[in-house]
Amino acid sequence: MHLKSYLNLHELLANDSASREENRAFGLAHILLKNKPIAQLVAWQEEHSAKLKQPSTSEKFTSYLYGVTLTLVILAFILGLLSGIGLLSYSGHEPVNVIYFIAMVVFFPLFTMSLTFFSMIRANSAQSLLVHISPAFWMEKILSLLPNKIQNVMKEIKINPLLLNWIVIKRSQLIALFFSLGLLVALLAMVVTKDIAFAWSTTLHVTPEAFHSFLKSIAFAWRDFFPSAVPSIELIERSQYFRLGDKLSEEMINNASKLGEWWKFLAFATLFYAVLLRFFMYLFASFGLNRAIKKSFLTLKGANSLLKEMNEPIITTRAVNDEERFVPTEESYVQIVHTLDTSYDVVQGWAISKEQLVVLNDSMSVIAPKFFEVGGANSFEEDNEIISKSHGEVLFFVKGWEPPTMDFVDYLQELSHNVDKVIVVPVGTAENNYEIKQSSIDVWDRKFSQLAEEKIWLKR
Amino acid sequence: MVEEITNTHPKFAVVGHPNKGKSSIVSALAMDDSVQISDTPGTTVKQRSFPLKVDGKVLYELFDTPGFQRARRVLAWLEKHEVSADKKQDVVKAFINEHENDERFNDEVQLLEPIMAGAGIIYVVDASKPYGSEYEAEMEVLRWTGQPSMALINHIDESDYSVEWKRALEQYFKMVRTFNPMQTSLSQHVNILESMAQLKEEWIVPIKSSIALFESYYEQMLERSASLVTRLVYESTSLVEKLGFDTEDASDEDKEQIEGNYKNRLRELEHHTQEIIEQVWNHDHLQIAQENLTFDGMDLFSEETASVFGLTQKELIVTGATSGAVTGAGIDLLFIGHTLLLGSAIGAVVGGVGAYFGFKELAEVKVLGRTLGKKYLQMGPMENRNFPYILLGRALYHTSRVSKRSHALRGVADLEMNSTFKEKWLDDDLKKSLEKYHKVFRSGKEIELEILKEYEVLIQGVLKKLVGK
Repeated sequence: MHLKSYLNLHELLANDSASREENRAFGLAHILLKNKPIAQLVAWQEEHSAKLKQPSTSEKFTSYLYGVTLTLVILAFILGLLSGIGLLSYSGHEPVNVIYFIAMVVFFPLFTMSLTFFSMIRANSAQSLLVHISPAFWMEKILSLLPNKIQNVMKEIKINPLLLNWIVIKRSQLIALFFSLGLLVALLAMVVTKDIAFAWSTTLHVTPEAFHSFLKSIAFAWRDFFPSAVPSIELIERSQYFRLGDKLSEEMINNASKLGEWWKFLAFATLFYAVLLRFFMYLFASFGLNRAIKKSFLTLKGANSLLKEMNEPIITTRAVNDEERFVPTEESYVQIVHTLDTSYDVVQGWAISKEQLVVLNDSMSVIAPKFFEVGGANSFEEDNEIISKSHGEVLFFVKGWEPPTMDFVDYLQELSHNVDKVIVVPVGTAENNYEIKQSSIDVWDRKFSQLAEEKIWLKR
Repeated sequence: MVEEITNTHPKFAVVGHPNKGKSSIVSALAMDDSVQISDTPGTTVKQRSFPLKVDGKVLYELFDTPGFQRARRVLAWLEKHEVSADKKQDVVKAFINEHENDERFNDEVQLLEPIMAGAGIIYVVDASKPYGSEYEAEMEVLRWTGQPSMALINHIDESDYSVEWKRALEQYFKMVRTFNPMQTSLSQHVNILESMAQLKEEWIVPIKSSIALFESYYEQMLERSASLVTRLVYESTSLVEKLGFDTEDASDEDKEQIEGNYKNRLRELEHHTQEIIEQVWNHDHLQIAQENLTFDGMDLFSEETASVFGLTQKELIVTGATSGAVTGAGIDLLFIGHTLLLGSAIGAVVGGVGAYFGFKELAEVKVLGRTLGKKYLQMGPMENRNFPYILLGRALYHTSRVSKRSHALRGVADLEMNSTFKEKWLDDDLKKSLEKYHKVFRSGKEIELEILKEYEVLIQGVLKKLVGK
């Protein structure tokens, strides 16, 4: 699990890199990963990473991170080296007090490692204060003030703050490790190149026995394997130094060669506390970062929807092809009759029985000698016979709620060829006293506007 | 040429007289709001297939067809061929083959083709209009096809002639059902599918799996909506808007500008979420037909919207106090009651006071320093305690309306909003639960996925209650 995968996924999700169909196809092709969301996301990211424009944000970011880390690591090593040299330098007046060095290679690492440990526990909190006191955090802040094109890119990347905490923690461990290595190298180099007179001195009333016991406990990790790397009580007694008198004691001068024996203890203390334990902290931080990356995969915006798209079947109910759009005519029919005459030559009804036609005539105060039911259950022969019997002006009742079908239009056109005038009267239902809705008449109007028949009139 | 049946998935052709709601029924059953529906006969000019597909596999297929135009002529042509019952299908196929390129019978060929390719017949009538003998020719033609069939009674208007229709339809169809495409619900949808399955024995299994799928599809849509609403509330509540300025102090114009930007961002977030929810429920064409389903003229920050969707001042104080008391009770619990329940009391007062003062203001405009000497104004995260309830109320209202809206509807929805909507979904227990999350959202901190998930589950429960089945 790499930061690069996380950033690639972040970018791919932001770019909406695959369609729902592609994602589902991917889910089906990797069905074994179905219940492993992180593995699914990683595999998906790998599949689509070629779609990212080069150099990708992840490459820019990891190269920036690598550059900053390398700079900080070199600086930390140099700082460690210089600190080591400073701590081990013999002024010519006073011997080198090992307590300073022990503080630097044992207590300072233990203290910072404790802080790191707490910051690891608190790393899941977005604004962990302990992360803010990390040197890596502040050194990067300082670096970010430098003019750099990459800073603009960095502003665009929104990394989960929890992940950022872990990045800072891991990097701090690496920096501290190289600082400690600098100290170790300085110690070894000084021991090899100089004759250092080690001593110990404290204002506190500490007996050599107590100090010996204290050092022995510090050396618990190696005292059984390398007993020579634990200072003996004699060495401790001989190397105790009091500043009063401004002179080295005779005993110290006589045993000058033995005082150098301290270096083994210091080297092992550095190796164990500053280097080895720090290395473990570094491994622990790497593990934590990996876990945070995994966790952050699922918090990425769009990751959840992507997983749903991969795992849920695509259900579609829609038409495959586009509809052939029908454009209704906007024209109005011009041959309109507003009032009916009192008599007509023939009255016809489209699928309206003779009995109903009589009632309709009465209700509209119209008289006619002939009534015919046409269409409906009639055969074409029956309809043709009615047409042949029709002449003059025909009042033609139709069910206004039924739209005009082509069957009706065919008949109407046939009829119009045989008579002088046809007035089509759409009527409503008997329950509504044959009154018809305006919208229903409009349907008839639109249909008639498509006919070019001079003899056909519409009653509105 | 009439296609032979090449696959075994069930097919259904929705046929009938023109303007009887065939397209509305298909639109509702296929959950597709793109189907052209109008009161002009002949709107559907070609048969159109609506397959129910799962990962590309067709479970069943619906066909929308043009209405019968010359049914009597078709019947006359068929009846000219006096054949035994087992040959009637061949005559219909012959009719299709002979009239394939005949303009006069385009509609009949279009509607008969899927039937002769194995589709079951769903004959649609409008029982709000009286039965007429002109329908008999159509039903006779369908009988000639020899395909399994059912009649579906639709009510376009309020009048009811279903008794006479049923009497007539039962002469021709073994199954007569009622379906209102304008008021679809999952249960109505399922009932119709179950009836369709009865048309042919071998269709029972695939239709049953389609029903199960529809139910999970419905769940999916609810889940997605809940997830979108959750994101909206979280992102809006935790939103931070920034505006840089170079002068010594920010001017009133700058402050107005940032407030305007902040509000617009929130409006955009809401509108964007509404659009996606409409897509989730297959109402893609909603925003084309009408600008916005809801809240036209009712701004997110209006007094009106606050009064309809938000909590009252009293409710806010009570919710704030209860939520504060819960935090205080945690302290009491920690000290095993040695605080004499002072924690709860103090928490209630602090929470209640916070709610009282948080009723009007949205968020404080802060002036913050920036490196290289520049300054910027910051607005957000949301401090107004009422805002998440208002936003959530609007989102739930919109989702419930969209999910219940039939895909057959084409007009602008008539939305009547009143404060009773809030009573349908928000009770005291829910208020307490929601306040806990709103508090976290308002903190502006990055929150864990689990918290959003918990909130989503709450919202899903509310949506289920509102939408029902």
